Amino acid sequence: MIPAPPPNKARLAWLVQAGSGLLLLLLLCLHLIANHFVVPGGLQGYADVVRYLSNPLILTLEMTFLVAVTGHAALGVRAILLDLGLSQRAGRNVSLVIGALSVVAVAYGAWLTSRVIGGLR
Amino acid sequence: MNVERPHDLTYQVAESRRVVNWLDSRGRGLGMWAFVAHRITGIGLVVYLLLHLVLLSILAQGPDGWDSFVALARTPVFLALDVVLIAGVLIHGLNGVRVALTGMDFGLRQQKPALVGLAIVAAVALVYASIRIVAG
Repeated sequence: MIPAPPPNKARLAWLVQAGSGLLLLLLLCLHLIANHFVVPGGLQGYADVVRYLSNPLILTLEMTFLVAVTGHAALGVRAILLDLGLSQRAGRNVSLVIGALSVVAVAYGAWLTSRVIGGLR
Repeated sequence: MNVERPHDLTYQVAESRRVVNWLDSRGRGLGMWAFVAHRITGIGLVVYLLLHLVLLSILAQGPDGWDSFVALARTPVFLALDVVLIAGVLIHGLNGVRVALTGMDFGLRQQKPALVGLAIVAAVALVYASIRIVAG
């Protein structure tokens, strides 16, 4: 038996996926322009990275970008896996594992950023 | 609505192809090709995201480690991979805009022209980005 997912949950996941995708278009453009297109040679040196991330507005945008891209990627992978026709229990486990991995990814990115800004103290 | 699964051999054969069924766009419309391209670029971007996080760990090694990586990232092989990355981002992003809009009932009848139009935008943007990447 394959019960259909609750319509509200499926709809919410789709809305978060679409919304984060549209947000990512803006954030990704900003990220690419700031980090690669206006920088001579296309990549910032270490001192430039520290200075860049030390700006509170930049830091907020980059962290928002990290959360949005991780969430969007997680929902995308989840959608592909759920399309394999998993049982309800397996589907729940997939969602839990992907959710946990997403939290780890965001936490790691935030930790790495704090280390760089803090001068590796 | 619950769906009973038959257990005959035909269904078992079909089940074993389920994993790659969505990859097979032969004989299907333009929309299916867009769906496959969207999923393939999405998977590629997920792999890139993980790789990006791992590579950024080099920042934790301090200036020497990072500046060595920057020198490596400016080699032709890496620049070529950057062009492939930008292509994936453009395909996934622009098709995603189309999917989001049609999912909200905007432009349902204009899907095909929208798809072709966005493909042209993606091609132009890719050419521009490639020139910028190669020119440094």
